[in-house]
Parts: sequence; C-alpha cells; structure tokens
Amino acid sequence: MKGNRTSNACLSNTREKMNDQERANILMVDDQPGKLMSYEAILGKLGENLIKARSAREALDHLLHNDIAVVLMDVSMPEIDGFELAEMMRQHPRFQKTAIIFISAVHLTDLDRIKGYRSGAVDYISVPVIPELLRAKVSVFAELHRKNRQLERLNSELEKRVEERTAQLRENEDLLRERADLLELATEAIFVRDMNGDLLFWNSGAEALYGWKRQEVLGKPVHQLLQTRFPTEYSDIEAVLAETGKWEGNLTQTTREGQEVIVACRKALKVGGHAVLEIVRDITAQLKAEDALRKTERLAAMGRVAGIIAHEINNPLEAITNTFYLLRDHPSLDEEARYYAKLGEEELLRVAHITRQTLGFYRESKHSVEVSISGLLDEILELQARRMEFSNIILQKHYRSRGTIQGFPVELKQVFLNLIGNAVQAMPDGGTMRLHVFESTLGRSGRPAVCISICDTGTGIDPEHAKHLFEPFFTTKSTKGTGLGLWISKGIVQKYGGAIRFRSLSHLNCNLTCFQVFLPDVNFQDSTDSGLAGSMAVEEISGVGHGG
Amino acid sequence: MGAERITILVVDDEEIPRMLRKLILQKQHYHIVAAASGKEALELLDRGGIHLVLSDQMMPGMLGTELTKTVKSTWPELPVILISGVNEIPADASYADRFVSKVEGPEPLFKAIAEVLVNYGHTL
Repeated sequence: MKGNRTSNACLSNTREKMNDQERANILMVDDQPGKLMSYEAILGKLGENLIKARSAREALDHLLHNDIAVVLMDVSMPEIDGFELAEMMRQHPRFQKTAIIFISAVHLTDLDRIKGYRSGAVDYISVPVIPELLRAKVSVFAELHRKNRQLERLNSELEKRVEERTAQLRENEDLLRERADLLELATEAIFVRDMNGDLLFWNSGAEALYGWKRQEVLGKPVHQLLQTRFPTEYSDIEAVLAETGKWEGNLTQTTREGQEVIVACRKALKVGGHAVLEIVRDITAQLKAEDALRKTERLAAMGRVAGIIAHEINNPLEAITNTFYLLRDHPSLDEEARYYAKLGEEELLRVAHITRQTLGFYRESKHSVEVSISGLLDEILELQARRMEFSNIILQKHYRSRGTIQGFPVELKQVFLNLIGNAVQAMPDGGTMRLHVFESTLGRSGRPAVCISICDTGTGIDPEHAKHLFEPFFTTKSTKGTGLGLWISKGIVQKYGGAIRFRSLSHLNCNLTCFQVFLPDVNFQDSTDSGLAGSMAVEEISGVGHGG
Repeated sequence: MGAERITILVVDDEEIPRMLRKLILQKQHYHIVAAASGKEALELLDRGGIHLVLSDQMMPGMLGTELTKTVKSTWPELPVILISGVNEIPADASYADRFVSKVEGPEPLFKAIAEVLVNYGHTL
C-alpha cells in the first residue's frame, strides 16, 4: 500500500511537470469500448494524453488532426483491420515513423509478425495484456517521440539562430561600413592606439588637425609624435582608463607645422583592453574666444567701476583743490606754512592726474577737428623738455608725414603724452628717444594710415609683463603709475579705428622698446570703402562735415 | 576790472564745495550769490540781477541740465555753465554754454567764465 501511494504521487508529479506540449498523444484504436476503457485505465497513470478511436476511420481522422506518438491498435477490427490501417499509415509520409503497437487476442504466427513488421509495426502485445508491460512499451515510445520532437525543436531553433546570426552579421557589416564612413566624415580627429601608444588607426580628421597623413603615422607612438602635454601624470590617466574604461580631459599638442593646439580629448578603452580609442576636438579657437570675451567683460566692468570711483573722488577733489588755491597766497601764512601748502597742492595734482586719466574720454568739444600730429608731438615734447634734459635724454625726431588726422586734440594728446612720458621715465640714467612719424598702412585692411613710432633705449620691458601691458591697473612703476595709461591710450586709438603695437628687443645690455600707433588717414577715407573702419571714427567724421 | 559788477549764481547741493567755489570766485572779484538746489536757484533768479549761473550737474531734485533748460527758456540771454565730476557728458549738456570738469582746477574755470561773459557782451 505504502509503495503504491508513493508511486501514484510520483506519477501525479510527473503529470504536473509535463505541460501540454510535452505530453505525448497516444491513440488507442479498438472496436470494443470495454477494451478501450481498460487500456485507458492501464495507461492513465503515464500522464500522457489518451485519445480513443472506435474504428480505423476514426483513428485516421485523429492521426490527421493530432501529432500522435504511439498508436495502440487491435489487429482484428471490422471493415479495416489493424494491418490494413498500419499499411495506410505507412503510405502517408507524416506517419511513416509513428510507433504502432498491435494488440492481438488470437495467437500470432511468425508470418503474421513479419507481415506486421513489414507494414511498419514496431511491437506486438498479446492478450491477456499485462498492464506493466503495456505501460512500459507505450512509455518508451512516448518518451522516444518526445525526444524526437525535442530534437526537431532544437534543430529548428538552431537553424533559426544561424539565420538570425547571419542577418546580424550582415547588419554589422553594413554598420561597420557606415561607421567607417562616419569616421572619415567626422571633423574630430579620431585615432586608435595600442597599449604601447603606437597608432593603429588615424582618420582624415586627424590628418586635417595634425597635418600628418595616415600612412606616415601608423605604427608610431602617438603622444611622442604630438608632444602631448597631459593635465595630470600619465600614469594617473592610464589608471583611470584601466579602471573605468574612459578618460576625458584637455591636452596640449603640437601639429606637424609646430603649432600648439589645445584639444578636448575623450579616450575609451576598447573591448579586450588592448587598444585605446581617442576622439579629439580642437578647442584652441574656442578657448581664445572665451578668454577674449572674459577679458573684454573684465575691462568693461573695470571701466564702469573706474567711472563711478572717479566721480566720487572728483567732488571732494575739487573742494580740496579750491582750498589749496585759497591757501596759496593767503597773507596770514608764513614762509614755512606756504611751503607745506605748496607740497600739498603738488601731491593733489597727482590725484587730479589719476582721476583725469580715469575719466578718460572727457571732451571739450563735440566735433572733431583736424589735428596736426607733429604739432601735437612738439607740444608734448615741450612739456617733457626739462625732464629730458635733466635725465640726459637725446631726442631723434623724424617727421616724414604731413600727419594730420581728424580727431579730438585732448584725447590724442593723452595717447602720446602717455607713450612719450613712459619712454622718458624708462630712461632715468639717459638714453635715446626716437620719434618717427611716417605714412603707412593699417594691418590687413591696407588702409592708409599715419604711423607714430616712439622708441627708447631705457630699462626695457620684461617679456612676462609684455602681454599685460594694455590691461587696466597694470603697472611696472609701483606706486608712481596708475596702470591705466596704456589701457586708456589703446582705447582711444581703437576708437579712431587705429591700432597700437608694441615691440621690445633686448641685446646684451641694450634694450630697445618701441610703441607704434597707427591712425587711419582720414584724407583717404572718402575714396576707401573700408568696412573695417571704426564706426565711431566714421560717425565723428560725418559730424564734422555738418559742423563745418 | 569790471568783475565787481558781475553777479554769479553758484548752485550746488553740497555745502562745502559750494562755499569754496564761492570763495575762489570772490577772490576773482565776482559778486556771488549761492543756492543749494535748482528750485532755490530759480527763486533767486526771479529776483533778477544775476549775470551768470554756475551750476553743479548731479543734484537731487533737479539736475544741472534740467535747471539749464528752465533758465534758458525763461531768460534766453542768461549764460549757464555746468560743472561736473561725471565722466560722461550728458546728452542735453548742449543747453549750457559750457560744460567744465571739476578736475581741471580753478584756473580753467575762471577762463571759461571770463570767455562766456565776454561772449555775452560783458566787459571785464
């Protein structure tokens, strides 16, 4: 009893595990319903799907509509007997491999069996049927059928997978071809290097950026070729790359022409970790533009601040200046007090000088006038004459141009007073100042211009300082300078549509510092259609026409 | 010298600068009256006897240029000089006869006043 229950439980488990697809169809054919019922009782335990047919005809109908694993059939049946049914099945290609078990109540001769085998039968069971035997036989065939079906499924799946994979490969190939085209189209420089840094791939973007052709660089160490400067230790980059598979940062590299470029670089470790893909974008121009913008913004902000401060200083300044004016000849002051007042007034002039420079573009008149450059320079030289004499400065003066320009004398005077004043101050122990005025052209536009060149053999300018010369509040004169002179001068010159250039030569103990101011020659203005002219300068000139 | 016969109205909202400007001009022998606002200046002008207005630009209530416009519309023959510490000449500064900077010091101011007075037919 105990064992029986256990086996039942096992079978029901098996039944539960088998889904419909796994369950095999067993077709039982017999003209006697009682027999069909007894087969059903015997085979029910197998958990397969049992189908009953009362005649060969009915059996054929089931065969056509279902996938039958085993046919269990009585040999002797009216109309079509078992052998005839088997014969019919064998003629149909779908049923050639279907297992058939004959059940025969009469003794079967060997001849009968051979006949059965011929018609494709696989097994015989004689009556009385031993349930275990029948179950075992049916079970083997059902299992065989299932295995066959599984094999077929696997086969078709395999075929499907092969098909899919082939399609995928074809797609990949297209994709790769497309990617290769994209790589060539990309404006970014794209290259692949191995772990030693030797180049494996180099796209046309890289050719364009760095100047080397693909065939020239493949196999060469890329970062030596490009003289790459990394923002951190190279080993750190390698470590990040190994750990995360990626790295991003800006690099400084050198092109074939020897030009330095700043690039935004993305590195990615290729699958397998034996090569690195680097995508590089030239951001030199972008950085320059950003830097210029920042500088311009800073200058504009400083200009505004300077204006506000100047205004706040100017009010009390006027009061103090007036106070000193009143003190100057006051009868109650003795010699000593008057001397102190004089010192105070002199120092105050320095403050006034600074604020006047900061005020910058203060104009006496609204309309520009014709200004003689040589006259203007002579006026300034006269102001500086005593100082130059005192410092043993030799003046070489060459005015080779008519040198008249349209403008505001006060502004222009400020420009040259700054430049000549700087030159004089740079030669406290003597030297030579060369002042040249000649006709020239303005930068790339080629517009006619007057060039005023001021050179001195003074202390020279440190190359470190050179790039900051035209920035506000930059001074090399410690407390004596406002740091605004050249900044304001540049502003004025630019307003006229002109340019200011600086050069410094140093040889042994001799320094030569040259400032060149280019001012567009307005006499050529009408005939030259130049879009590059400063708009303000043009406006002022037309203003003059109206004012007479 | 005919400066004694000339009366200048000095307008400034700040007391000390106003007083000092008055003092330096008195030293040039001008007769000075002072006002602390545009409104006060117009009241004094109504009484007559003023030959020139010297006004600060940045004043609360009424700007120097606003005062100038009012003065010029009422007394077109009265010269006005604006004095300022601002670093940009205001757009309507042209209503005044001159626009002088505070930074220039006393002498350029005297010169400007004298020139304007001569332009208006005064003999100094």
